Amino acid sequence: MLVVKNLSKSFSSASGDVTALNKVNLTVQTGEFASIIGKSGSGKSTLLSMLGALDIPTSGSIEVDGVDIAKLSAGKQTAYRAKKIGFVFQHYNLIPNLTALENVMLALEFGGMPAKKRKARAEQLLTDVGLEPDEQLRKPPRLSGGQQQRVSIARALANHPAIVLADEPTGNLDSETGKKIFDLLHHLSRSEKTTILAVTHDMDIAGKTDRTFKLKDGKIIA
Amino acid sequence: MNVISRGIKNALRSPLRSGAIVLMLAISIGLILSMLVARGSVNSKIDEVKSTAGTSITITPAGVNGFAGGGDALTSTQLATITSTAHITGTSASLNDQLSSTDTSLTASLELGNFGARQMRFEGSSTPSSANSSPSDTTITRRAPTPRTTVTGTTNPNSVSTNGSDLTLTSGETIDGTSSELVALVGSDLATKNSLVVGSTFTAYTKTITVKGIFSTGNKFQDSGIIMPLATVQTLTDQSGSVNSIVAKVDSSDNVSSTVAALKTALSDKADIVSQAEQAAASVSSLESIASLALGGVIGATIAGAVIVLLAMIMVVRERRREIGVIKAIGGTNRKVVGQFVTEALTLTVIGSIIGLALGVAVSGPMTTSLVSSSTSSTTSTSGRPAGGPGEMMRGGFNQISKNLTSVTSTLTPTIFASAIGITLLIAVIGAAVPAWFISKISPAEVLRTE
Repeated sequence: MLVVKNLSKSFSSASGDVTALNKVNLTVQTGEFASIIGKSGSGKSTLLSMLGALDIPTSGSIEVDGVDIAKLSAGKQTAYRAKKIGFVFQHYNLIPNLTALENVMLALEFGGMPAKKRKARAEQLLTDVGLEPDEQLRKPPRLSGGQQQRVSIARALANHPAIVLADEPTGNLDSETGKKIFDLLHHLSRSEKTTILAVTHDMDIAGKTDRTFKLKDGKIIA
Repeated sequence: MNVISRGIKNALRSPLRSGAIVLMLAISIGLILSMLVARGSVNSKIDEVKSTAGTSITITPAGVNGFAGGGDALTSTQLATITSTAHITGTSASLNDQLSSTDTSLTASLELGNFGARQMRFEGSSTPSSANSSPSDTTITRRAPTPRTTVTGTTNPNSVSTNGSDLTLTSGETIDGTSSELVALVGSDLATKNSLVVGSTFTAYTKTITVKGIFSTGNKFQDSGIIMPLATVQTLTDQSGSVNSIVAKVDSSDNVSSTVAALKTALSDKADIVSQAEQAAASVSSLESIASLALGGVIGATIAGAVIVLLAMIMVVRERRREIGVIKAIGGTNRKVVGQFVTEALTLTVIGSIIGLALGVAVSGPMTTSLVSSSTSSTTSTSGRPAGGPGEMMRGGFNQISKNLTSVTSTLTPTIFASAIGITLLIAVIGAAVPAWFISKISPAEVLRTE
């Protein structure tokens, strides 16, 4: 279970302090598929980076299965990202000179899986997301956007994370491919019992998730 | 695939750029190696020249150079002062004289020639040469210049040797320089001219001298002379206690300079003092400047190499900022990311090193030769000194030093090779350390901010 309490984040800028998140409170149950919607600059990405331990909040707490990740040391936060969190990005963010298979194996390496088991696990994950064996050996530039996002999802799920954080997962895809990717995420959240929190501006997609949080000016308004 | 293999793979990610970096690195590493070789070779040559210069100091009466010049011979008191000077382990003294045809039964084997005639033109100045006499001068007695035979009275016959080693005797045995017997070693040319063999006798200073041995030095001047015990020459020439050349041996090459200074103080202006070691030190100064130039080259090329790797890696890190953010976001530790980039820098450096070291091996020889030959041409012209006589031996030594200077051979020793590899690793470490610091500063949140 994910519990966010009074989460605030301020940045210093030339024009003074900017509050990106202002006392955000939210709770997401394990295995739930939730979405966060909001306009550009509403604090969606900032919230996602706090939840993924990519950045440190100014105040408040983020509890994942009872552990406040905001108070973890840098080393433990890295371990948290490797084992408890899976990221899916709008621009896929695959390593361009590694094959699809190697990209997934990289996440498994960081998750601490023994080298001998990585390949079989990565192949299984890529097969699960619908990548053919020959596609698995291609490097990202030789895969379509939809295929790259599938690889990204396989990488996010590699270490059986507690939460998958998706930042505009369909934002860079045509609507048909976007729907397929959404269905894939939805299916996986059910089969793997993984909590998924997706930032989106696509109301159709948001409407299909279990819960939707609406952010405005750094606050949850619905 | 682990950190190492990812690093190696990344190094070859952009073949054109990696190729350019490797090429630049190879040139700087090649330069480092060839400069190290040049420095090592020149330094070993400097040591060789200094060591062959020996530890002897030659002391001659002030104003005397061979048979030219003037002044008083050195006295036995001065010899005693020299012998008792600190660090001097031994001395050999000599007194030179020349025998004219009236002094000896020997016929000089050295032709007078133009040079000899000119040297003697002042002698008996009131007696113009009969060859050029005019009828009005017939009342004046004239004597044609005649070639002379040099007599060296020495406590150590081996000091006459021109090559620094013992005197080579072609027959007979050496003489005791400290005795006062009427014995002599005769130069091979003089012996041939006068049909002298061991046991023969000849007359000099109205005394009968016995030939104990025939020597050959390969030097025409020396081989036309006679070597006798010092005391014998002193007695025969009525110069008891006088010497006109002393060669003193110093215990260590490190003490030569201080001993020369001490002797100069003790003998003040009565003697001219020169040491081969000091002359050699002056002669090798151009080689020393090459050595420091080469060291400058090594430092410059090292800095250039490090800057190449540094800039290349900074460029790579900046370019892959997002990728680094992604790796950190999906759980990559700083250590792993830095390890990957350091491996990448090392891979480029290793490839550059292999090419650069091969390049260095190929060019170090010609480079050393061209550095030395262009720089020592000015040195060789400074060592010549005029006049003959005992100074000949010293000059032989200096000419040898000058020849040595130009015969520097480049040698690639394992130590030099190891130094080059060490410097290369230093380049890689410097070139990778700064980018590593940049990497550690990249936040994983970078991946979202740039979305």
